[in-house]
Amino acid sequence: MFCKFVPSVCPYCGTGCGVLLEVVEGKLIGTLPLKSHPVNEGKLCIKGWNMHEHVNSFLRLKQPLIKMFGRFVKTEWNEAIDYTAERFKEIIEEHGPDSVGVLVSAKTTNEENYLGQKFARAVIGTNNVDHCARL
Amino acid sequence: MQAQVTRWLKDGKIDIFIGYKNFDGHIIPHCFTSDKLDEIKDLQSGQEHYALEKVATKIAAGYPDLTIGLLLARKCNQQALNVLYVWNQLDPERIEILDDSNNTTESDAKVEELPFKEEKGLSKTLLPADLEEHSQAELFPRWMYEFSKCIKCYGCRNICPVCFCKECSLEHKELIGPGMLPPEVPIFHLVRATHMAGRCIDCGLCEEACPADIPLRLLYRKVGEIVSDLFAYETGDSLEQSPFSVLGDKVVLEPKPINE
Repeated sequence: MFCKFVPSVCPYCGTGCGVLLEVVEGKLIGTLPLKSHPVNEGKLCIKGWNMHEHVNSFLRLKQPLIKMFGRFVKTEWNEAIDYTAERFKEIIEEHGPDSVGVLVSAKTTNEENYLGQKFARAVIGTNNVDHCARL
Repeated sequence: MQAQVTRWLKDGKIDIFIGYKNFDGHIIPHCFTSDKLDEIKDLQSGQEHYALEKVATKIAAGYPDLTIGLLLARKCNQQALNVLYVWNQLDPERIEILDDSNNTTESDAKVEELPFKEEKGLSKTLLPADLEEHSQAELFPRWMYEFSKCIKCYGCRNICPVCFCKECSLEHKELIGPGMLPPEVPIFHLVRATHMAGRCIDCGLCEEACPADIPLRLLYRKVGEIVSDLFAYETGDSLEQSPFSVLGDKVVLEPKPINE
Protein backbone atom coordinates (compact mmCIF):
# COMPACT_ATOMS: atom_id res chain seq x y z
CA MET A 1 0.00 0.00 0.00
CA PHE A 2 1.44 3.35 -0.91
CA CYS A 3 -0.09 6.75 -1.22
CA LYS A 4 1.43 9.97 -2.35
CA PHE A 5 0.57 13.60 -2.89
CA VAL A 6 1.63 15.18 -6.14
CA PRO A 7 1.65 18.97 -6.48
CA SER A 8 0.56 20.09 -9.92
CA VAL A 9 -1.19 22.84 -11.84
CA CYS A 10 -4.84 22.64 -12.79
CA PRO A 11 -5.15 22.01 -16.55
CA TYR A 12 -8.64 23.43 -17.00
CA CYS A 13 -8.02 27.10 -17.72
CA GLY A 14 -5.21 29.60 -18.07
CA THR A 15 -5.33 30.77 -14.45
CA GLY A 16 -2.94 28.08 -13.27
CA CYS A 17 -4.24 27.18 -9.82
CA GLY A 18 -2.06 24.92 -7.72
CA VAL A 19 -3.53 21.51 -6.96
CA LEU A 20 -2.42 18.54 -4.94
CA LEU A 21 -3.31 15.18 -6.41
CA GLU A 22 -3.99 12.31 -4.03
CA VAL A 23 -2.71 9.00 -5.38
CA VAL A 24 -3.45 5.70 -3.64
CA GLU A 25 -1.86 2.54 -5.07
CA GLY A 26 -1.05 4.32 -8.31
CA LYS A 27 -4.63 5.43 -8.81
CA LEU A 28 -5.70 9.05 -8.74
CA ILE A 29 -8.46 9.33 -6.14
CA GLY A 30 -8.77 13.00 -5.32
CA THR A 31 -7.75 16.59 -5.81
CA LEU A 32 -7.02 19.14 -3.11
CA PRO A 33 -6.17 22.81 -3.48
CA LEU A 34 -2.51 23.56 -2.83
CA LYS A 35 -2.68 25.79 0.25
CA SER A 36 0.60 27.56 -0.25
CA HIS A 37 0.16 28.29 -3.95
CA PRO A 38 0.33 32.04 -4.64
CA VAL A 39 -2.26 31.95 -7.44
CA ASN A 40 -5.24 30.32 -5.76
CA GLU A 41 -4.26 30.55 -2.07
CA GLY A 42 -5.89 27.24 -1.19
CA LYS A 43 -9.08 27.74 -3.19
CA LEU A 44 -10.41 25.98 -6.27
CA CYS A 45 -13.47 26.13 -8.51
CA ILE A 46 -15.69 23.14 -9.16
CA LYS A 47 -13.69 22.06 -12.20
CA GLY A 48 -10.43 22.01 -10.29
CA TRP A 49 -11.98 20.10 -7.40
CA ASN A 50 -13.09 17.35 -9.77
CA MET A 51 -10.15 17.21 -12.17
CA HIS A 52 -9.19 13.69 -11.08
CA GLU A 53 -12.46 12.40 -12.50
CA HIS A 54 -11.65 12.88 -16.16
CA VAL A 55 -8.38 11.01 -15.78
CA ASN A 56 -10.22 7.86 -14.72
CA SER A 57 -13.26 8.45 -16.92
CA PHE A 58 -14.27 5.61 -19.24
CA LEU A 59 -15.15 8.24 -21.84
CA ARG A 60 -11.56 9.40 -22.04
CA LEU A 61 -10.01 9.22 -25.50
CA LYS A 62 -6.87 7.10 -25.50
CA GLN A 63 -6.50 6.67 -29.25
CA PRO A 64 -6.76 9.05 -32.22
CA LEU A 65 -9.94 8.92 -34.28
CA ILE A 66 -10.32 9.50 -38.03
CA LYS A 67 -13.67 10.50 -39.46
CA MET A 68 -14.51 8.18 -42.33
CA PHE A 69 -17.88 8.05 -44.05
CA GLY A 70 -19.36 10.29 -41.36
CA ARG A 71 -18.20 8.16 -38.45
CA PHE A 72 -15.21 8.29 -36.15
CA VAL A 73 -13.00 5.24 -36.44
CA LYS A 74 -10.25 4.37 -33.97
CA THR A 75 -6.78 4.29 -35.44
CA GLU A 76 -3.07 4.29 -34.56
CA TRP A 77 -1.00 7.44 -34.05
CA ASN A 78 1.32 6.94 -37.05
CA GLU A 79 -1.59 6.34 -39.35
CA ALA A 80 -3.45 9.39 -38.04
CA ILE A 81 -0.40 11.64 -38.44
CA ASP A 82 0.28 10.39 -41.98
CA TYR A 83 -3.33 10.92 -42.94
CA THR A 84 -3.41 14.44 -41.47
CA ALA A 85 -0.15 15.43 -43.18
CA GLU A 86 -1.43 14.11 -46.47
CA ARG A 87 -4.67 16.06 -46.23
CA PHE A 88 -2.88 19.26 -45.16
CA LYS A 89 -0.63 19.03 -48.23
CA GLU A 90 -3.60 18.58 -50.51
CA ILE A 91 -5.50 21.48 -48.99
CA ILE A 92 -2.50 23.86 -49.03
CA GLU A 93 -1.74 22.97 -52.65
CA GLU A 94 -5.28 23.57 -53.73
CA HIS A 95 -6.32 26.60 -51.62
CA GLY A 96 -3.06 28.10 -50.28
CA PRO A 97 -1.65 28.10 -46.75
CA ASP A 98 -4.13 30.71 -45.47
CA SER A 99 -6.88 28.16 -45.84
CA VAL A 100 -5.54 26.50 -42.68
CA GLY A 101 -5.84 27.88 -39.14
CA VAL A 102 -4.27 26.63 -35.94
CA LEU A 103 -6.04 26.87 -32.61
CA VAL A 104 -3.84 26.53 -29.56
CA SER A 105 -5.08 26.32 -26.00
CA ALA A 106 -4.86 27.86 -22.54
CA LYS A 107 -4.95 24.36 -21.16
CA THR A 108 -1.59 23.33 -22.55
CA THR A 109 1.82 24.62 -21.55
CA ASN A 110 3.51 27.73 -22.86
CA GLU A 111 6.03 25.58 -24.72
CA GLU A 112 3.34 23.60 -26.48
CA ASN A 113 1.65 26.83 -27.51
CA TYR A 114 4.97 28.06 -28.88
CA LEU A 115 5.29 24.88 -30.91
CA GLY A 116 1.74 25.38 -32.13
CA GLN A 117 2.45 28.82 -33.57
CA LYS A 118 5.80 27.60 -34.96
CA PHE A 119 3.97 24.83 -36.74
CA ALA A 120 1.46 27.31 -38.18
CA ARG A 121 4.06 29.85 -39.33
CA ALA A 122 7.04 27.72 -40.34
CA VAL A 123 5.42 24.50 -41.54
CA ILE A 124 2.06 25.55 -42.88
CA GLY A 125 3.00 29.14 -43.69
CA THR A 126 0.06 31.06 -42.27
CA ASN A 127 -0.49 33.65 -39.56
CA ASN A 128 -3.86 32.13 -38.69
CA VAL A 129 -3.07 31.28 -35.06
CA ASP A 130 -5.57 31.80 -32.31
CA HIS A 131 -6.17 30.89 -28.72
CA CYS A 132 -9.22 30.08 -26.62
CA ALA A 133 -8.24 32.59 -23.93
CA ARG A 134 -8.22 35.51 -26.37
CA LEU A 135 -11.84 36.35 -25.66
CA MET B 1 9.46 13.41 16.06
CA GLN B 2 11.46 11.67 13.30
CA ALA B 3 12.90 9.13 15.75
CA GLN B 4 9.49 8.18 17.06
CA VAL B 5 8.00 7.68 13.61
CA THR B 6 11.01 5.58 12.57
CA ARG B 7 10.54 3.44 15.69
CA TRP B 8 6.83 3.01 15.07
CA LEU B 9 7.37 2.02 11.43
CA LYS B 10 10.21 -0.38 12.29
CA ASP B 11 8.25 -2.04 15.09
CA GLY B 12 5.26 -2.47 12.85
CA LYS B 13 3.11 -0.47 15.20
CA ILE B 14 1.92 1.51 12.20
CA ASP B 15 1.89 0.63 8.49
CA ILE B 16 2.00 4.15 7.12
CA PHE B 17 2.51 7.58 8.60
CA ILE B 18 0.92 10.68 7.15
CA GLY B 19 2.86 13.83 7.95
CA TYR B 20 4.23 16.81 6.11
CA LYS B 21 7.33 17.43 4.06
CA ASN B 22 8.79 20.36 2.21
CA PHE B 23 8.45 20.09 -1.55
CA ASP B 24 10.09 23.02 -3.38
CA GLY B 25 9.00 25.40 -0.65
CA HIS B 26 5.47 24.02 -0.40
CA ILE B 27 4.68 22.16 2.80
CA ILE B 28 2.57 19.27 1.53
CA PRO B 29 1.26 16.08 3.12
CA HIS B 30 3.44 13.05 2.60
CA CYS B 31 2.98 9.38 3.28
CA PHE B 32 5.93 7.75 5.05
CA THR B 33 6.33 3.96 4.94
CA SER B 34 8.78 1.42 6.31
CA ASP B 35 10.09 0.74 2.76
CA LYS B 36 11.52 4.23 2.57
CA LEU B 37 12.82 4.95 6.04
CA ASP B 38 15.39 7.44 4.73
CA GLU B 39 12.55 9.79 3.78
CA ILE B 40 11.70 10.33 7.44
CA LYS B 41 14.42 12.94 7.82
CA ASP B 42 12.21 15.20 5.67
CA LEU B 43 9.28 14.87 8.07
CA GLN B 44 8.25 18.19 9.50
CA SER B 45 5.33 19.80 11.23
CA GLY B 46 2.88 21.59 9.02
CA GLN B 47 2.06 25.22 9.23
CA GLU B 48 -0.19 24.90 6.24
CA HIS B 49 -3.23 23.05 7.24
CA TYR B 50 -4.49 20.01 5.38
CA ALA B 51 -7.13 17.65 6.70
CA LEU B 52 -4.89 14.62 7.18
CA GLU B 53 -7.70 12.84 9.01
CA LYS B 54 -9.82 13.09 5.86
CA VAL B 55 -7.00 11.49 3.87
CA ALA B 56 -6.91 8.75 6.53
CA THR B 57 -10.65 8.07 6.11
CA LYS B 58 -10.18 7.69 2.36
CA ILE B 59 -7.33 5.23 2.87
CA ALA B 60 -9.16 3.38 5.65
CA ALA B 61 -12.21 2.98 3.39
CA GLY B 62 -10.09 1.07 0.87
CA TYR B 63 -7.71 -0.65 3.28
CA PRO B 64 -9.50 -1.20 6.61
CA ASP B 65 -6.73 -3.40 8.07
CA LEU B 66 -4.08 -0.76 7.82
CA THR B 67 -2.85 1.03 10.94
CA ILE B 68 -2.33 4.65 10.07
CA GLY B 69 -0.09 7.07 11.92
CA LEU B 70 -1.16 10.69 11.78
CA LEU B 71 0.64 13.89 12.53
CA LEU B 72 -1.53 16.06 14.71
CA ALA B 73 -0.54 19.58 13.86
CA ARG B 74 -3.47 21.40 15.41
CA LYS B 75 -5.99 20.84 18.18
CA CYS B 76 -8.87 20.63 15.73
CA ASN B 77 -7.27 17.57 14.08
CA GLN B 78 -7.93 15.64 17.29
CA GLN B 79 -11.49 16.92 17.48
CA ALA B 80 -12.10 15.97 13.86
CA LEU B 81 -10.76 12.49 14.64
CA ASN B 82 -13.14 12.22 17.61
CA VAL B 83 -16.09 13.06 15.37
CA LEU B 84 -14.93 10.49 12.82
CA TYR B 85 -14.57 7.84 15.57
CA VAL B 86 -18.02 8.63 16.92
CA TRP B 87 -19.56 8.21 13.47
CA ASN B 88 -17.63 4.99 12.78
CA GLN B 89 -15.64 6.43 9.90
CA LEU B 90 -12.34 5.50 11.51
CA ASP B 91 -11.43 2.84 14.01
CA PRO B 92 -9.54 4.38 16.96
CA GLU B 93 -7.55 1.12 17.26
CA ARG B 94 -6.22 1.60 13.75
CA ILE B 95 -5.10 5.20 14.24
CA GLU B 96 -1.94 6.24 16.02
CA ILE B 97 -1.42 9.92 16.58
CA LEU B 98 1.73 11.92 16.99
CA ASP B 99 0.81 15.10 18.80
CA ASP B 100 2.74 18.06 17.52
CA SER B 101 0.12 20.70 18.28
CA ASN B 102 2.28 22.28 20.98
CA ASN B 103 5.04 23.07 18.53
CA THR B 104 2.97 24.70 15.87
CA THR B 105 2.07 28.32 16.26
CA GLU B 106 -1.54 28.59 17.22
CA SER B 107 -3.39 31.01 19.39
CA ASP B 108 -5.64 29.63 22.13
CA ALA B 109 -8.82 31.02 20.67
CA LYS B 110 -8.66 28.57 17.72
CA VAL B 111 -8.61 31.59 15.43
CA GLU B 112 -5.43 32.10 13.56
CA GLU B 113 -4.27 34.27 10.75
CA LEU B 114 -2.40 32.71 7.89
CA PRO B 115 0.59 34.94 7.24
CA PHE B 116 0.84 34.34 3.50
CA LYS B 117 -2.79 35.10 2.76
CA GLU B 118 -4.37 38.38 2.05
CA GLU B 119 -7.39 39.12 4.16
CA LYS B 120 -10.52 39.30 2.04
CA GLY B 121 -14.19 39.39 2.97
CA LEU B 122 -15.23 39.66 6.60
CA SER B 123 -12.75 39.23 9.38
CA LYS B 124 -11.96 35.56 10.00
CA THR B 125 -11.99 36.16 13.73
CA LEU B 126 -15.60 37.33 13.93
CA LEU B 127 -17.73 35.58 16.56
CA PRO B 128 -21.54 35.31 16.59
CA ALA B 129 -21.57 37.56 19.68
CA ASP B 130 -19.96 40.35 17.64
CA LEU B 131 -23.08 40.56 15.50
CA GLU B 132 -25.40 41.39 18.39
CA GLU B 133 -24.97 45.10 17.94
CA HIS B 134 -26.55 44.83 14.50
CA SER B 135 -30.30 44.54 13.99
CA GLN B 136 -32.04 41.72 12.13
CA ALA B 137 -32.93 44.19 9.39
CA GLU B 138 -29.22 44.76 8.82
CA LEU B 139 -28.07 41.18 9.20
CA PHE B 140 -30.58 39.42 6.97
CA PRO B 141 -29.74 41.22 3.72
CA ARG B 142 -26.05 40.92 4.52
CA TRP B 143 -26.29 37.15 4.90
CA MET B 144 -28.31 36.91 1.70
CA TYR B 145 -25.64 38.96 -0.06
CA GLU B 146 -22.89 36.72 1.28
CA PHE B 147 -24.72 33.56 0.17
CA SER B 148 -25.40 34.99 -3.28
CA LYS B 149 -21.64 35.18 -3.90
CA CYS B 150 -21.47 31.38 -3.94
CA ILE B 151 -20.04 29.84 -7.14
CA LYS B 152 -21.18 26.36 -6.08
CA CYS B 153 -17.72 24.83 -6.13
CA TYR B 154 -18.60 22.47 -3.26
CA GLY B 155 -15.18 23.33 -1.85
CA CYS B 156 -16.58 23.76 1.66
CA ARG B 157 -17.96 20.24 1.57
CA ASN B 158 -15.02 18.67 -0.23
CA ILE B 159 -12.43 19.99 2.16
CA CYS B 160 -14.46 19.42 5.33
CA PRO B 161 -12.82 16.72 7.48
CA VAL B 162 -16.16 15.68 8.96
CA CYS B 163 -18.15 15.53 5.69
CA PHE B 164 -18.23 11.86 4.82
CA CYS B 165 -21.82 10.99 3.82
CA LYS B 166 -22.15 8.66 0.87
CA GLU B 167 -24.99 10.72 -0.51
CA CYS B 168 -24.77 14.43 -0.01
CA SER B 169 -27.93 16.48 0.44
CA LEU B 170 -26.29 19.31 -1.46
CA GLU B 171 -26.38 17.16 -4.59
CA HIS B 172 -29.93 15.99 -4.02
CA LYS B 173 -31.99 17.55 -6.78
CA GLU B 174 -35.25 17.40 -4.82
CA LEU B 175 -33.71 19.40 -1.97
CA ILE B 176 -31.62 21.82 -3.96
CA GLY B 177 -32.56 22.57 -7.53
CA PRO B 178 -29.75 21.87 -10.00
CA GLY B 179 -28.48 24.09 -12.79
CA MET B 180 -28.55 27.42 -11.01
CA LEU B 181 -25.78 29.80 -10.12
CA PRO B 182 -25.68 30.99 -7.39
CA PRO B 183 -27.33 27.87 -5.96
CA GLU B 184 -30.71 28.37 -4.30
CA VAL B 185 -30.13 31.11 -1.76
CA PRO B 186 -30.24 30.57 1.17
CA ILE B 187 -31.30 26.86 1.09
CA PHE B 188 -27.95 25.56 -0.16
CA HIS B 189 -26.00 27.17 2.67
CA LEU B 190 -28.58 26.56 5.35
CA VAL B 191 -28.84 22.86 4.48
CA ARG B 192 -25.12 22.60 4.92
CA ALA B 193 -25.25 24.66 8.10
CA THR B 194 -27.86 22.40 9.71
CA HIS B 195 -25.86 19.34 8.72
CA MET B 196 -22.86 20.85 10.45
CA ALA B 197 -24.74 20.83 13.77
CA GLY B 198 -23.00 18.35 16.02
CA ARG B 199 -20.31 17.75 13.41
CA CYS B 200 -18.47 21.01 12.79
CA ILE B 201 -15.37 21.30 14.92
CA ASP B 202 -14.63 24.85 13.81
CA CYS B 203 -11.40 24.09 12.02
CA GLY B 204 -11.94 26.89 9.51
CA LEU B 205 -10.95 24.88 6.42
CA CYS B 206 -14.24 25.64 4.64
CA GLU B 207 -13.78 29.37 4.86
CA GLU B 208 -10.16 29.07 3.77
CA ALA B 209 -11.25 27.08 0.72
CA CYS B 210 -14.15 29.36 -0.22
CA PRO B 211 -13.28 31.25 -3.44
CA ALA B 212 -16.10 33.75 -2.71
CA ASP B 213 -15.02 34.45 0.89
CA ILE B 214 -18.39 33.67 2.39
CA PRO B 215 -18.09 33.86 6.22
CA LEU B 216 -18.92 30.16 6.61
CA ARG B 217 -17.01 29.79 9.82
CA LEU B 218 -19.13 32.45 11.48
CA LEU B 219 -22.29 30.68 10.32
CA TYR B 220 -21.16 27.28 11.60
CA ARG B 221 -19.95 28.80 14.82
CA LYS B 222 -23.47 30.06 15.42
CA VAL B 223 -24.79 26.56 14.73
CA GLY B 224 -22.25 25.08 17.10
CA GLU B 225 -23.22 27.60 19.75
CA ILE B 226 -26.87 26.54 19.52
CA VAL B 227 -25.90 22.86 19.77
CA SER B 228 -23.79 23.56 22.80
CA ASP B 229 -26.37 25.81 24.55
CA LEU B 230 -29.49 23.77 23.91
CA PHE B 231 -28.16 20.23 23.96
CA ALA B 232 -24.98 20.60 26.01
CA TYR B 233 -23.16 18.70 23.28
CA GLU B 234 -19.57 19.75 22.76
CA THR B 235 -18.72 18.69 19.21
CA GLY B 236 -15.34 17.03 18.96
CA ASP B 237 -14.98 16.58 22.71
CA SER B 238 -18.07 14.49 23.52
CA LEU B 239 -17.46 10.81 22.90
CA GLU B 240 -20.97 9.88 21.86
CA GLN B 241 -23.01 10.66 18.77
CA SER B 242 -24.70 14.03 18.68
CA PRO B 243 -28.39 14.35 19.67
CA PHE B 244 -29.11 14.72 15.95
CA SER B 245 -28.62 11.04 15.24
CA VAL B 246 -32.31 10.89 14.42
CA LEU B 247 -32.15 7.36 13.10
CA GLY B 248 -31.22 5.99 16.52
CA ASP B 249 -27.96 5.20 18.22
CA LYS B 250 -26.93 2.48 15.84
CA VAL B 251 -26.71 4.67 12.79
CA VAL B 252 -23.62 3.89 10.79
CA LEU B 253 -23.04 6.29 7.98
CA GLU B 254 -21.43 4.40 5.19
CA PRO B 255 -18.21 5.87 3.91
CA LYS B 256 -17.91 6.73 0.28
CA PRO B 257 -16.38 3.98 -1.85
CA ILE B 258 -12.73 4.74 -2.52
CA ASN B 259 -12.94 4.29 -6.30
CA GLU B 260 -15.75 6.58 -7.00
